[in-house]
Amino acid sequence: MIEFKNVVKSFGQKTVLNKVSFKIERGQIVFILGISGTGKSVMLKNIVGLLTPDAGEIWVDGVDAAKLSEESYGPIRKKCGMVFQQPALFDSMTVFENIAFGLRKHFQLPESEIKSRVLKALSLVNLDDIGERFPSNISYGMQKRVSLARTIIIEPEILLFDEPTTGLDPITTNAINSLIQDLSRRLKTTSLVVSHDMNCALAIADRIIVLDRGMIVEDGTVESVRNSKVPLVKDFLAEV
Amino acid sequence: MFVDSIGLILIQAGKTLADFLGMLKETFQALFRPPFRVGLIIQHIEFIANRSVGIIVFCVSFAAMVTIMESSYHMKLVLQEDSLVPGFAALLILRELGSVLAALLLTSKIGAGITAEIGTMTVTEQIDALKMLSINPVQYLVVPRLIACILSGLALAVISNLVCLISAMGISVANLGMSTGSFLLAMNRFVIFQDLVFAIIKGGVFGAVIPLIACYWGFRCTAGAQGVGQATTRSVVTASVAIIVLDFVMSWIFAHFY
Repeated sequence: MIEFKNVVKSFGQKTVLNKVSFKIERGQIVFILGISGTGKSVMLKNIVGLLTPDAGEIWVDGVDAAKLSEESYGPIRKKCGMVFQQPALFDSMTVFENIAFGLRKHFQLPESEIKSRVLKALSLVNLDDIGERFPSNISYGMQKRVSLARTIIIEPEILLFDEPTTGLDPITTNAINSLIQDLSRRLKTTSLVVSHDMNCALAIADRIIVLDRGMIVEDGTVESVRNSKVPLVKDFLAEV
Repeated sequence: MFVDSIGLILIQAGKTLADFLGMLKETFQALFRPPFRVGLIIQHIEFIANRSVGIIVFCVSFAAMVTIMESSYHMKLVLQEDSLVPGFAALLILRELGSVLAALLLTSKIGAGITAEIGTMTVTEQIDALKMLSINPVQYLVVPRLIACILSGLALAVISNLVCLISAMGISVANLGMSTGSFLLAMNRFVIFQDLVFAIIKGGVFGAVIPLIACYWGFRCTAGAQGVGQATTRSVVTASVAIIVLDFVMSWIFAHFY
């Protein structure tokens, strides 16, 4: 369970999150929509302590993450997997090593098991036979999928996606959306997806939150969002 | 207005220094915490020492030759003889030139590279990805580079000073008409073993300063190519200034031991 209570985050004079409050139950797929610069990514980073809020509380499975020090975030980060806006792959490692990195860090597994899991993760994102290549030798879209494979391989309880399908072709986008849905249903993973893509949100979300200038302007099920009177939501729906 | 600007600069400098000391403390704590990545340290030593030794040898040998030629010219002009040149030059080389020049070259070659690498990792969210895997970026990125750079600094200080002395001797023999024996004899009158020891210590200290400053600016890199460029410039400038200031401080301290 993730809960934001009156979370405020500013950068200099600019308030990016302004008293944001919401609660997400386990197993839900929640899309956070909004135009660029409205604090969507900041919201995700606050959950795992990559940024800390100026005020408010962020509860993750009964722990107030906003009060933790950098050294104390370990258990929450172990629970969460995050797919960043950029692929964030380690340049000095091959694709295989990138995906295996988290497994090696968190689990004591035999090499054969690691290999089998990495190959399975690569297969899930439709990328076979690129394990020995370096990130710089594959396309941006492939890097994003590798990044996704690296995150899901450790089977986290909470998945945070920061624009997971930006820059990807429609077929891969659909595959990733199906994957998010599948993980959520099969493993009861809570998924928080930051996106601009209303189509994806309408297709797989249990709930949609729309942010505008650091404030929640819409929060509801797919059906309620479809009937929203909020101008920004209408603009998003018009693009569908 | 002018006073306000100075005040703001001082406040900013104070904040930066406090921030740097925070990273220094974290690095020191991480130094003694496993895992100790020996393989990674060796890899960095290969990169830092092995790939810098050529340029350092090339540059310091020319610097040593210029020192001899200039000293000789001016001594002849003022004292009408240049027999003291090897002694003075060797003293200058061991106490200043060899270690400082090697460190400044290492800053521009290795320090800039470290900042650009870590800066790129910062702006492409690789540092955040490390944190998400519960890996402490300071322990994973700074500590191996720090140890490797200290060891490389020590080794490069020895090499740099020896190359300087050999080059100085070579040019003295070729240009000033001295024999190898008279050069060594003249050098021996001024230089003691302590000079070499202090030169090596300086090399180690400079070796520590370069990666610490380089990593610090890398972690604070802002987005975009411009951000990486600015961080790299800041890194090289700060490290160069720190080397010059630390050289003065260490020379002052070492003076008490003669």
